[in-house]
Amino acid sequence: MGDKIWLPFPVLLLAALPPVLLPGAAGFAPSLDSDFTFTLPAGQKECFYQPMPLKASLEIEYQVLDGAGLDIDFHLASPEGRTLVFEQRKSDGVHTVETEVGDYMFCFDNTFSTISEKVIFFELILDNMGEQEEEQEDWKKYITGTDMLDMKLEDILESINSIKSRLSKSGHIQTLLRAFEARDRNIQESNFDRVNFWSMVNLVVMVVVSAIQVYMLKSLFEDKRKSRT
Amino acid sequence: MGWPVLLLLALCAAGARGLYFHIGETEKRCFIEEIPDETMVIGNYRTQMWDKQKEVFLPSTPGLGMHVEVKDPEGKVVLSRQYGSEGRFTFTSHTPGEHQICLHSNSTRMALFAGGRLRVHLDIQVGEHANNYPEIAAKDKLTELQLRARQLLDQVEQIQKEQDYQRYREERFRLTSESTNQRVLWWSIAQTVILILTGIWQMRHLKSFFEAKKLV
Repeated sequence: MGDKIWLPFPVLLLAALPPVLLPGAAGFAPSLDSDFTFTLPAGQKECFYQPMPLKASLEIEYQVLDGAGLDIDFHLASPEGRTLVFEQRKSDGVHTVETEVGDYMFCFDNTFSTISEKVIFFELILDNMGEQEEEQEDWKKYITGTDMLDMKLEDILESINSIKSRLSKSGHIQTLLRAFEARDRNIQESNFDRVNFWSMVNLVVMVVVSAIQVYMLKSLFEDKRKSRT
Repeated sequence: MGWPVLLLLALCAAGARGLYFHIGETEKRCFIEEIPDETMVIGNYRTQMWDKQKEVFLPSTPGLGMHVEVKDPEGKVVLSRQYGSEGRFTFTSHTPGEHQICLHSNSTRMALFAGGRLRVHLDIQVGEHANNYPEIAAKDKLTELQLRARQLLDQVEQIQKEQDYQRYREERFRLTSESTNQRVLWWSIAQTVILILTGIWQMRHLKSFFEAKKLV
């Protein structure tokens, strides 16, 4: 008799837990799309890991935004350690993989460069992540009241969903454009610095060289004059 | 007793889905976020320490702290705080541009850190992705349609802010390009003029020198 009462209680406790866990109280629920921009110093390699479930899709897109040569080595490995993608000295790339369960590792390698540090932008787009996706979209437990309308609510919600996905796409394209623009701007600023620097060097060199030429010639003739008597 | 525990474990594991990387002791990792102004950024992180004996990452490490430092585009520190092994940091940008978010651990337990590796799970949300819609629904008592409409509005507002910021960046970019262009032009002209003048000076100087030395 006592057993029958005891067993449902932990179950009830667990049923009460998900609403607490979901809004991100302990152990946050990370989003499905994320992008990061970081600086990779010269001669170093940095790796990132992304845990994936079965039959989901992982799309990774990267761009080098700043740094002489604007190139980097990229390496993507499956959870078993098998190399899926290995690119050398590329300035941008897009790769999509259909995933198995485990942690996928991708690395950016700047060891070929001894002096210049690179600024790298990468974006991860995860799809078909399964029950995590549904968790984040299921707001039904948080709303109050109901809507009174002529149209069916489902139709409205459907068009809202489609607007939302299109806006997400716009957001993605904006992120990409932002990365392109940042790269072009960095190129231009480095051009500007280069033009300034080398113009100054050019000026100094010209003046110094012409002075040296004149004085060297003078010195040649002075010796000859003396020997001529 | 069996399956409720498994369910609990499964729920805990579901939180471990994000990107992670390894960081050494006192090593600093910085991420750059280029954002428009008045945009909220929320960062979540979770750390795990490497256990050298068991060759596995411990699920949680009390006592291990991470220091988070955020700098605005001018280099001024916006946020500089110590958090625990698991933390959440928030800041709002007041100037548009590249903000730098730096994380480093300042572990006091040197001995335990002999393995030298710390696993950091990181998630950074910008703008409307940082909004917690369940919370907003509860606070403003919204129906589902209202909540969805609010989310769409936030999304559109964020896109609009990004577009405004793009415009401001493009203007700066255009100014730099035009200035470079002008400088290249003026420098080429100046270089030609200097060369000609130097040439003339050289010839005159040498001519008067040779005449003085009675060689010509």
